[in-house]
This record gives sequence, C-alpha cells and structure tokens, in this order.
Amino acid sequence: MTDPVKSPSVEEVLEDKGQYKYGFTTDIESDTLAKGLNEDVIRFISKKKNEPEFMLDFRLKAYRKWLTMEEPKWPNVHYPPIDFQDISYYSAPKPKKVLESIDEVDPELLRTFEKLGIPLDEQKKLANVAVDAVFDSVSVATTHKKKLMEVGIIFCPISEALVEYPELIEEYLGTVVPVGDNYYSALNSAVFTDGSFVYIPPDTISPMELSTYFRINTEETGQFERTLIICAENSYVSYLEGCTAPQFDTNQLHAAVVELVTMENAEIKYSTVQNWYSGDPETGKGGIYNFVTKRGKCLGDNSKISWTQVETGSAITWKYPSCILLGDNTQGEFYSVALTNGLMQADTGTKMIHIGKNTRSSIISKGISADRSSNSYRGQVKIGPNASNARNYTQCDSMLVGDKCSAHTFPYIETANSSVQLEHEASTSKISEDQLFYFESRGISRENAIQAVINGFCKEVFKQLPMEFAVEAQKLLALKLEDSVG
Amino acid sequence: MSDAIAELKGEAGVLELHRKFLETGAVPAFRSINEKAIARFEELGFPHPKHEMFSYVNTHEITSTPFQLGTGTVEPAFVDANTYASCEKSRIVFVDGAYEAGLSNTTGLPQGVKLVPLEEALTQADIKTHLEKTIEEENDFFACLNAAFLKGGLLIDVSAGTIMESPLQVLVTGTASKTPTAHHPRLFVRAGRTAEVKLITKYVGTGGGYLVNSMQDFLLDDGASVVLARVQADHAQSWHAEKSRVYQGRDSRFTALCGSGGNKLARVHNEIRLQGEGAEASLSNASVLIDDDQSHHFIRIHHEAAHTISHQLFKNVINDKGRSSVDGTVIVNEGAQLTASHQLINNLMLSDTAHADTKPNLMIFADDVKCTHGATVGQIDQDQLFYLKTRGLSEELATELLTTSFVESLISQIQFPEVVVDLKNLLLKKLEVKSD
Repeated sequence: MTDPVKSPSVEEVLEDKGQYKYGFTTDIESDTLAKGLNEDVIRFISKKKNEPEFMLDFRLKAYRKWLTMEEPKWPNVHYPPIDFQDISYYSAPKPKKVLESIDEVDPELLRTFEKLGIPLDEQKKLANVAVDAVFDSVSVATTHKKKLMEVGIIFCPISEALVEYPELIEEYLGTVVPVGDNYYSALNSAVFTDGSFVYIPPDTISPMELSTYFRINTEETGQFERTLIICAENSYVSYLEGCTAPQFDTNQLHAAVVELVTMENAEIKYSTVQNWYSGDPETGKGGIYNFVTKRGKCLGDNSKISWTQVETGSAITWKYPSCILLGDNTQGEFYSVALTNGLMQADTGTKMIHIGKNTRSSIISKGISADRSSNSYRGQVKIGPNASNARNYTQCDSMLVGDKCSAHTFPYIETANSSVQLEHEASTSKISEDQLFYFESRGISRENAIQAVINGFCKEVFKQLPMEFAVEAQKLLALKLEDSVG
Repeated sequence: MSDAIAELKGEAGVLELHRKFLETGAVPAFRSINEKAIARFEELGFPHPKHEMFSYVNTHEITSTPFQLGTGTVEPAFVDANTYASCEKSRIVFVDGAYEAGLSNTTGLPQGVKLVPLEEALTQADIKTHLEKTIEEENDFFACLNAAFLKGGLLIDVSAGTIMESPLQVLVTGTASKTPTAHHPRLFVRAGRTAEVKLITKYVGTGGGYLVNSMQDFLLDDGASVVLARVQADHAQSWHAEKSRVYQGRDSRFTALCGSGGNKLARVHNEIRLQGEGAEASLSNASVLIDDDQSHHFIRIHHEAAHTISHQLFKNVINDKGRSSVDGTVIVNEGAQLTASHQLINNLMLSDTAHADTKPNLMIFADDVKCTHGATVGQIDQDQLFYLKTRGLSEELATELLTTSFVESLISQIQFPEVVVDLKNLLLKKLEVKSD
C-alpha cells in the first residue's frame, strides 16, 4: 500500500494503444473488375462463376430491388456516405491450375494464414477442423472434404455448390433473407461472389466442427459473402466463423448474408469471432464497415438455432443474427459479447420472431465500451398471435470504461398472445473500484484483475462457444486489453 | 365552413383549418407562436407508419379525420360531479380547450399561488422565450398542433416557499360532438424555489367525438416539488393526446402517478429534463384496457446533471382487443455521473387478441451510473390461482382478485385518497365487468 507509483486506472489499462496485430497485406496479383456497379457487372460475375440461369435472375431481381431502396438511417451509427460505384465487385486471385496438395498453394498466401495463427496443414491434424478458407472472395483451399463426404455432408464454396447442387440452392437461397429484405442484403444478393454452403443430410451428426476463415485482401474490394446452411431432419452441425483483416487506409465495406434452415429436430450452432481492423484508434480512419444480415429459420418442429458471437473489431458493426421460430417447440438462442474501443461503433443485437406454439428463445448480450466508442444493443422479441406458451428471457448488460464512451439499449418487445412468459432485464455498470481493490489486496495485479472482471462479465457467452473458439475469444479480449498496457 | 374543411383531409386539412383559425379565432398575443408552430408542423408532417416515435401507435384514424375546433359548453352540475370534494374551492376548468373562469373556483388557493392567463404571462420574457424555444425543438406533431392552435391557457405561478396543503384540481372537459372536434388546452406550471405544488388533472368528456390534445409545461426551480396525480377518464369514443415537459432545477422533485382508462387512442408523451444536480423524477402509470381501448406512453427522461435520479413504473392490464405500448428512453448525458435510473414495465395479458408492446431504452454517455430496466409480459400465475382456489375462492373471484391487486398496488400509492377511490372505480370496475 505504500507503493508511491500510481496504479493505472481502468481506462489506461483498457486503452488500446497497440498497433493492429494483423495489420499487413499480402501481395498477390488479383483479377479485379473495374470499379462500379450495373447490370453488366452482375452478368459478368454470374458468367465468371458459370452460374445456372436462375442465379442470374436472382441477382438481377435483387439488383433492381436494391436500386429502389434507401440506405437504412435508423442504426445508431454515423459514417460518411458510401459511394457504391467506387467499389470493385469482383476480385479473385489469378486462376491457377488445380492444386494437388496444400504445398501448391501460393506460399505468400500460406504465410498470411501463418501470421494469423491458422496454418492450414497443421490445423487439419491438430484441431480436426475442416477449413474452407475464403481468401479475397474466392475459396482457395478446402480440406477435410472427403471425410465429410463420407457421411454425406456437403461443405463447399457456394460458387461450387451452384454448379454441383443447383437444385438445393434454388430451393433454399433467399428463403430466409429475401432479396429485398434490406438495403445491404439486396446488394449482397446481387453481387455476392462466394461464401460457404453446408448441407447436413437427415439423421447425421457432423463428425467435426465446420470452420471458415474470411480474410479481406485486395484494397478497396467490397466483400460480399453468402452463406447457406441447411440442416435436415434429426441432424446437428456446429459452424465456426472467424475473421481478421489487413490494415488499410480506405474504408472497406463488408455486407454478408448468412441464411440457416433447420428441419424437424435439427440443430445448428453458429459461432462467430470477429476481429476486423477497427480503424485508427485516434481518427477512426480505415476501419471495416461490417453490415451483416444473419438469419435462421427453424422450419421443422423441435428444431433449434443458436447464435454465439464475439465482436471485437470493425469500425462499424451493424448486425442482428435472428431466429424465425416457425415450427412448434422450436428454440432460438443468442449469446453475444461486443467490445468496442477507439472510435468503434456497434449497433448489434437480435430478433426473435415467435410464430409456432411453445417456442422458446433466450438472449444474453454483453456490451463493453471503452475510449470514445459507442455500443448499442438493439433487439426485438415478437410474439405472434398463434405463438401460445411462448417464452423469452432477455438479459442485456453493458459495461462502460471511461467517461467518453456510450452504451445504449433498444429492446423492442411486441406481444400479441396472452399465454406468453417474457422477461427482459438490462443493467449498465462500470468495473467497480471495490472489485479491483479486492483483487489487488490478494496480490493480483490491476491489469489481471480487470481481465478477470471482464472475463467474468462475459462468461455466460464464452461458455457457449466451442472449445477452440472459447480459447480464441478469451485470448482476443485479453489481447485487446494487453496491448493497452504497452 | 365545415363543409369545406371536411373535404380536406390529412395535413392539407390541418393547414386549411389553421389558415381559417388565424383569420377568425386567433388571439394576437399568440400569433407568432401559432405561426412558428404550424411551420414546425409542416416540417414534421403526420407520422408515416414506420416513424420510430409512433411505431406502436396507429395514428391513421386521427390523421385522416377532419377535425374542427370545438366550442361546446358544459353544465355546472357536470363539473361539480367531477370535482373532488377537497378541491371544491381550488379547481380550474377547461372546456373544449378554453379556460372557463365561470366554472372554476380558486378561492381556496394559498396566497402564493397565482393564476395568470397565458396571454398576460407572455409579457414575461422567460415564459415567452421558453415557449418559443420549445417549439423549435419540438418533435411531436401533437404538441406542435397544440401550439399552432393556442389561443388561451393558464399559468399557475407558485411563488418561492409557498406550500400547497391541499391539491389544485384541473378538470379538462371535452364536449360531445357529432362531427369530430379537437381542442388544445395548455397549462404552464412554474414552481418557485422550495415551493410545494400539489396538482390533480382529470380528463373527462360529456360524450364522444372529441380529441383532447393537451400540453403542460412544468418549470421547477431549485428545491421545488410537484406532486401530480393524473386521471385519464375520457369518453370511450374519444381520442386523447397529451404532452408534459418537465424542467427540473437542483434538488427538485417531480412525482407523477397516473391512471389511464384508455379510449380510442390515448397517447401520453412525457419529456423530463433533470437539469440540476440532485433532481429526482418519478413517473408511474396504471392502465386497464378492455374492448378496443388503447393507451400508449412515450417517455424521454434526460439526465443532464450529476446525482440525478429517475424511477418509472408502468403496469398495464389488457383484455379483449386492448392495445398498450410503453416506449421509454432514459438518456444519461456525458458528465451526468452518479446517476441512478430504474424502469420497470409489467404487462398482464388477459386475452389472445390483446396487444402489448414495450420498448425500454437506455442511452448512456457517462460511465459511473446505475441504470436498470426490466419488462415483463405474462398472464395470471396458475399457482397463485390454484392457491386461492384451495382457499375456497371461485375461479372468477380469484382471477379478479389477482388482476385488481396487480394495478391496485400502484394506484394506492397516490397520496390523494379521493383520487385513489376514483381510480379504483374507474379502472377496477372495468375488470369486474369482464369477470362476470
């Protein structure tokens, strides 16, 4: 107690002074389309991908719808207007001959993955995880495919699926997120270049967790990923998605769409760790705009969709992983940790739309805002007139670190059925000096104490993550805090 | 005149009515306010269905009805019947938006309480500035229309240190009308330093067909206290819009406990600004809605200074095709440290056609605060029902007991016994009828 050195304040410890760890660019020649968007660009993308006829119609319909729409103004985020004609809508590494093994992949590319800590070849053995790495909009490597194929699971780039399984895509694409759902989903439907497609056949438990690493590379290339996961009767899959991005000076737009469909008794668990470049902590320059539409539809009775997300990056996050609980006895879950620091802005949350009988949903959202960032939870719970005995539990807690940041909560609770049990709780607090004092009196450094408090705050969400991701998420949060002490 | 207006609906109809109002009915003292307000209304327009402020309130019926300005009269007996016994000598009466001195009786008010017609009060610079400033910032079209058609109103000026022992009742009456009429009563309450103000506002109607669009400003100086009880007992076939703006100085207290019976569309907008350190606001409302009743609450509480406190409690019982919504936001400004805010919304749904929408928002820009909100939607607890039945109560009686106690706990907190009795008659009777 006699130590004259002033212990750092919470703000100082959390302040992210460090450079972006993953801020580097890989130098690969790209086959990039000139900037701008018109019907010809869409025809070009569709042709380039050898897509079936229905896909071009789908894209054009979305594009025409997009032209009539306006950018949403309601999110609690601010950014300069985006010039959609200043984006190149197609960019792929130069086509190379089909690779026999992982050694043939561009070593430059492999080094990038290495720096990110995900060497493909090692991961294959170590983690038992199949990685479909989407590198700059085109998948360059898919592993473990064979093992998955043995049990009938299709896990491939969506561009490949369009060629090989067009009937599945035609049946389900756009059924959860219709082309005109919102401004960014319409844009995505028109111009998406790649993404993942997963089909789990009936009565199948996926033998491994499926994982995709996204990485934006070519400067000023919009990233429009499209993911579609279909889980047939009595099946289960856990899907992991993680992102890191190189450092750039111009804002990058990411408008992904993820659609999930579960049939009777099926379950999809979708986990995300997101750590894209959030811009210069002082000026906010150069960060990623993450405008994502993620939605799952519990089509069959007794099915379940669970979203877990750890959001620690992006200059602007605009993301509401949602569940449409259509079948009877279906379940939706949403677990989220959103950390904002620097000048980051996040407006994230979920929608739980209860339509079927005896549907249940739970929402646990933890927001941490530091520095000059703004963190909003926006969630809707809607109980339809036929959703008798629906249940919802919502808890959204915010933690503020520093007096320049802000935390907001915007729940929308709409009920049209009397047999509903619904609870919503929210609280806002700061790391208390009492808690820190207690740790310090036990000889634990202030920095470790802050980490412990924050990990405790997020525990309910972390424990939902698959093992490898839970470790990664904790590391990520720790990394953000670690750098700040310098 | 009426024919011409009837043809013009929507915004054009309002503008046309306002043009005629300026030509014939306007009071010169309010002219600049009227003009500013209608200009602000033109900017805002009627809300479109996706307007965030009205996302749960369907204003289509109101905005498509061509209202005329009401000029009805009421019998003194009607006023007497709606006056609380302790307020016989301290009551002010508005009829169709106009202050009626003849029906009012203010002989029982303490010396420090002055009633000033608003047109006279406008000569005071601070009142005029306040009114003009609030129009510029106004975001609610109802409040704009009130100012646009303002031609009277009353300032209740309570001087520093004055303590009101018994409440002053404000009776706002709408008169029955075959063609829809609108009226715009206006009240301005100024509580001086450490003054204690007790107010009861009651909204009634002699019949249906009117829209009461009332507006209140409360200015609380340092240490002042205002206790308000509000009884919304409008005719079922009427519309009710209301906005209160509350500005609170250091260590002031504003307490409002309200009961709403709902009607075709009742919407209450509360904007509370805690501007001085230590200011405290408490806002509660109980609604009982049956048939097609609607009751909507829109609340914005701004914590603008440190050490400010706010409490909110809303309880809604909704049966039949009733609709209720509570859209409440607590905003903690930068620097408003050590703020405490608590908000709870409970909905009890009694039928499958009932509708309850809830939006408890928090916007926080300071780190050392304690803010919580909670919302529940549920029905009668089967265990509680079973317990009462094992004690020999019939299902109907047990249900009635549980529903009435749900709202009674809030109503009984009102410190004016007559209002408690009145609200019990108004609200709990509605529940009795349904369980029979």
